Amino acid sequence: MSDASNHGFLGEEFLTWLWYRLETEGGDFDLGGGTVIGVAMDDYLEFAPLDEDETLQTMRKGMPTRSPEARTALRSGHRLKKAKLIVAQGEREWTFVLDGTELELRSVKLPQDDESCESQAERDRERAAHFIEIHSIVRRLYARFLEIRLRPDYLGTAAEKQAAWMQA
Amino acid sequence: MFRRSGSFAAYYVEGKLPDPTSPAFAESLEKLRFRTIENAASEESSVGWVTAGDPTGDSFEQEDIDLDRAIWLRVRFDKKKLPTIWLSIHRTEAERSAGRKLSARERKDLKEDLQSKMLPRVLPSVALVDVLYVPAESMVYLFGTSKAVREEFTKLFFQTFAARLILADAYEIACRSGIGRDARNYLEEVAPVRWMRDEAPVFGAKPGVRPHAEDDADAAAAAAAAHTQHEDTPDHDERHEEEAEEA
Repeated sequence: MSDASNHGFLGEEFLTWLWYRLETEGGDFDLGGGTVIGVAMDDYLEFAPLDEDETLQTMRKGMPTRSPEARTALRSGHRLKKAKLIVAQGEREWTFVLDGTELELRSVKLPQDDESCESQAERDRERAAHFIEIHSIVRRLYARFLEIRLRPDYLGTAAEKQAAWMQA
Repeated sequence: MFRRSGSFAAYYVEGKLPDPTSPAFAESLEKLRFRTIENAASEESSVGWVTAGDPTGDSFEQEDIDLDRAIWLRVRFDKKKLPTIWLSIHRTEAERSAGRKLSARERKDLKEDLQSKMLPRVLPSVALVDVLYVPAESMVYLFGTSKAVREEFTKLFFQTFAARLILADAYEIACRSGIGRDARNYLEEVAPVRWMRDEAPVFGAKPGVRPHAEDDADAAAAAAAAHTQHEDTPDHDERHEEEAEEA
């Protein structure tokens, strides 16, 4: 269960919204400024417990988003705490576990080094840029969620639709 | 070689750092560069700046730290500790010789004696943690996520540059995401949505939002209405049973 004082729940709601968005509208996002990305959920999900005594639910391998256990967790009102994501932009692909509560990226795997990199210094520069870029992409996705989440009519509009999806 | 994988924590920098290409930047690092404890005769730790090109902390060459968009630094954490197994071996031996258990005072003396004899021969454990500083975004990425590393790092960063690091969590990123003033004000009081089973989503009690279902008759009625809307849909458990029967 996240601590509401640090708004960790917003990160968990973001992850849950992301899942809803992927299933209802697809995984393509135009983040503006020519940045178009594709997002998919991979083989790791962790649900936030509803209270401190509840067992942590972790799902690994296969397609956990399609599992009956995941649907049950959604119907019970659980938010996603962590999820393994794949983000693609053009030829480049990142995988990482997004910790929703902390909004931190864990176990990040960067895109393959560009073959045109001729020296180690060039590769170092490219890798550093890839780390910076994936964090920027996650921040922009989160901002997209906040545009919806912080609307005054959120509860009666977008949240109702998401609730219907969670119940389905 | 810069890593191709790993976990990191992101921070916003509050304060102004010297231009990374200026001598002042290197001087700040040099003041808190790593200092070795290889020959120390007491249990201690040492934390300080180094670079990938020079893990001793003796130099901070521009070519070692400049990655165009980011400055690449490393924090070196060394810790020297007497292995507890050695303490245990010597204590057992002393107790066997004395034919009795050692007193607390004797155990303390034994430990101090062992430390002075053995620690100069013990090599410290070494951990190198990568750091990226991105001047254009006033952000820092720390490639170590343990609580102890974060605390030591934020302390070292403040001592070095007199600038505070703010962890980029859900709240801080939201504050800096370009949301409007109304949304910014609402952010201060926003409460988690409670996604209730077979009920409409409800917020915790906060001004301007719907109250918690358990405290409010209207919300309970709304929840009941939502339940009515869903009553055509079989309960998950029932559906599961039906599927099991079909199988």
